Amino acid sequence: MVLMLILKKGRVLRVRYLIKYSKDSEIKFIAHLDLMRTLQKIIKRSELPIEYSKGFNPHMAVSIAQPLSVGVHSKGEYMDVVLSCELEEKYILDKMNENSPRGIKILDVVAVIPVEGKKQFQAMAIIDAAKYTIKLKLSQEEEVKEILNSLSSNEDWSIIKKTKSVEKIVNIKPLVYEIEYSIDNSILVISALIACGSRDNLSARLLADYMKENIVFINKEAFVDITREEMYAMKGDKLVTLSEFFKN
Amino acid sequence: MNKISDDILFKVEKPARYVGGELNCCYKDIKSVDIRFAFCFPDVYEVGMSHLGSRILYHVLNLRPDTYCERVFAPWPDMEKEMREHNIALYALESKDSLNEFDFLGFTLQYEMSYTNILNMLDMSGITIRASQRGEEEPIIMAGGPCAYNPEPLHDIVDFFELGEGEEIMNDVMDVYKKYKGKGKKKEFLREISKIRGVYVPSLYEVSYNEDNTIKEFKPKYADVPSRVAKRFVTNLEEVAFPEKMVVPYIEIVHDRVILETFRGCTNGCRFCQAGMIYRPVREKTTANLVEAADKLLKSTGYREISLSSLSICDYSDIQNLIATLIEKNKENHVSISLPSIRIDSFSVDLINEIQKARKTGLTFAPEAGTQRMRDIINKGVTEEKILEAASNVFASGWSTIKLYFMVGLPYETMEDVRGIAQLSDKVAGEYFKIPKEVRKRGLRVTTSSAIFVPKPFTPFQWAPQSTMDEVVEKIKAVKYAITSKAVTYNYHESIVSYLEAVIARGDRRICDVIIKAFEKGAKFDGWSEHFNFELWKEAMEECGVDGNFYAYRERSYDEVLPWDFIDIGVNKEYLILENEKAKKAQLTQNCKLGCTDCGVNVNFKEGTCFKGALFN
Repeated sequence: MVLMLILKKGRVLRVRYLIKYSKDSEIKFIAHLDLMRTLQKIIKRSELPIEYSKGFNPHMAVSIAQPLSVGVHSKGEYMDVVLSCELEEKYILDKMNENSPRGIKILDVVAVIPVEGKKQFQAMAIIDAAKYTIKLKLSQEEEVKEILNSLSSNEDWSIIKKTKSVEKIVNIKPLVYEIEYSIDNSILVISALIACGSRDNLSARLLADYMKENIVFINKEAFVDITREEMYAMKGDKLVTLSEFFKN
Repeated sequence: MNKISDDILFKVEKPARYVGGELNCCYKDIKSVDIRFAFCFPDVYEVGMSHLGSRILYHVLNLRPDTYCERVFAPWPDMEKEMREHNIALYALESKDSLNEFDFLGFTLQYEMSYTNILNMLDMSGITIRASQRGEEEPIIMAGGPCAYNPEPLHDIVDFFELGEGEEIMNDVMDVYKKYKGKGKKKEFLREISKIRGVYVPSLYEVSYNEDNTIKEFKPKYADVPSRVAKRFVTNLEEVAFPEKMVVPYIEIVHDRVILETFRGCTNGCRFCQAGMIYRPVREKTTANLVEAADKLLKSTGYREISLSSLSICDYSDIQNLIATLIEKNKENHVSISLPSIRIDSFSVDLINEIQKARKTGLTFAPEAGTQRMRDIINKGVTEEKILEAASNVFASGWSTIKLYFMVGLPYETMEDVRGIAQLSDKVAGEYFKIPKEVRKRGLRVTTSSAIFVPKPFTPFQWAPQSTMDEVVEKIKAVKYAITSKAVTYNYHESIVSYLEAVIARGDRRICDVIIKAFEKGAKFDGWSEHFNFELWKEAMEECGVDGNFYAYRERSYDEVLPWDFIDIGVNKEYLILENEKAKKAQLTQNCKLGCTDCGVNVNFKEGTCFKGALFN
């Protein structure tokens, strides 16, 4: 109803919203493009006045802040969307939740208010860090703590990083901002705040691979469960969540 | 319930095939239902999820409060390997319960090359392959779909078949089953449903053979079992259940859009086409109904594309109005419309022009045969003049790529006819150059494809021998060398899979042993070239003492008892004979929209009115 009234008044306006959502464990194997299609269908079903690009093959004005690798689930994903009118944040949140499949929950919606004289960057351009929980299966718990302690004091965490064409040795330690460990029921749980985004980036998978290479008691055949907990940007001199970044 | 651990899923290709949980899939409390039905598609998820009939029946069964229908697809070999290694039985996507916990397994038979997957799916669930050896406690195996019109090659695997459209018959069968469930009376249940129209229970019939291996007699074992099985069909499509919500897969499937069924049946009467015969009579849905259904489906799925489905969409009686209304309703919505098959004429080109105003994707025409004589033999009612006129219209409207579909190995075909494929392709390309340079779009491409013809039951060509592999190879070579235009690309396959398809399509009960043997040797996903291994089938046929040529290459006489003769599709056998005789003389039969051609369907089936729901009716 809200929507119809605004549309009838014919106010044409473009409003950007930052939407925080989860990609739950049950759909962690959905690839980035498939997730993108799924999000677009949620928006379509929600009948939100989404903007489209011009041209023969119009695309929805939806962009995902940071792609998530296949197999990784998340409690802190973000996307930017542009609507053609202003709507209550709560209305958008409820509408989208009503129309989401089981594996996706909309957690927060923030209107990105234009500020005079200041460019409001896309979410993908401001990300600096992300927090992950990485769970690795252990064949034995003993000695693991000792290995971790000696790794912690080492400033050089070098590992071979493979891309499609090149292999190079990188030191990932400077990209790890905070890291904590615990061992529970033969599972090594790593909680890490690491570089993320277009400036510096460390894949959580590479960090997990480093651990696998250096701790012999990690089961190499088992699936590594990785959760992205949250994504952060620098506001002033401290890291805040993307939602907080755009909230006034 | 099976727990499919991430340790397995992360190793396989496209794990989303095996996890379920998609939007609009149906969940029920197992304790609240009487009947558990596993709807099985014997191919991979992306193929199975694209099949409209399965989606309709999933919906129809789940409308019943007493029944819980779940989905099962054939796991790709990488997943199968993991499941077998970890002793995980094949499970249904919704509950993750193993198939042997279900009352029914219903397989849809869309193509013969999926049969070994059925056996593999049973085997992965620990279910006995042979119906005659299957225990009372094991699920009842049923099957339907177009290939069920020759059910005999699966006679000892499937407990019963449903012939024709499933919407009503499914309910009739479930109603009877409720009486028998859990009483240990599978035989009695099968005996009772054998009297329901459209149900065929192979174990209640026996077959004897002549010395020349042809069938001597096919008859019921008991007096109360019907000797002929008539197909079922929905008389009024306006009232039939159609899902308003469809499952929306997370991953991209083959037909990833809203599919709107516009009508059933086809009036063209092409002599090679099984669908054109078995789906008679033609019945339509009204535009009003379709527009409403489209609206609901777009809302409930979030898709931005609708595909209008039917055997020949341009023959829908109200097609212009339907398309205009859908375009008008969705013009603010960024929803596009697609037509999967279009007729070769200027009318159709105008239609598609209306739909693809801005973006011109490729166009596909199916002349099916290269010469006028050959097109008349198969009763493809289109002249070369019309084809070239349509092509000219296409190029003048701004398309520069066009695809042409043909068949090689058709009955009564000569090398002259085959070379006609090349000549027609060249002529189509020639039309492009007649269009002024400033009008036509740059980059002409004509893609000509040929498939190998497989004679199918219930067509006028059901008696015909298949062209031998050697002949087909010669014919393909002839096409290849006869093409002169540089703009024409020729795609073809020479796979022996067409021979096997011909063996099974017109096979009898003895083919069942061959399928089981081939499966035991490791045959599966035979429809996928990377998995098809003809050697396994050759060995299987040899070991079973079956000569494939007997089924594929032999011309049958009109008085021979064919394995599927006991099925009544409504169309008279005499009509098929007459059509074959006319084919020999290259005589045309008119489209039945222009006047009844006396196939018999509206006389044999009193309830069947032709063109029910059509505009001119």
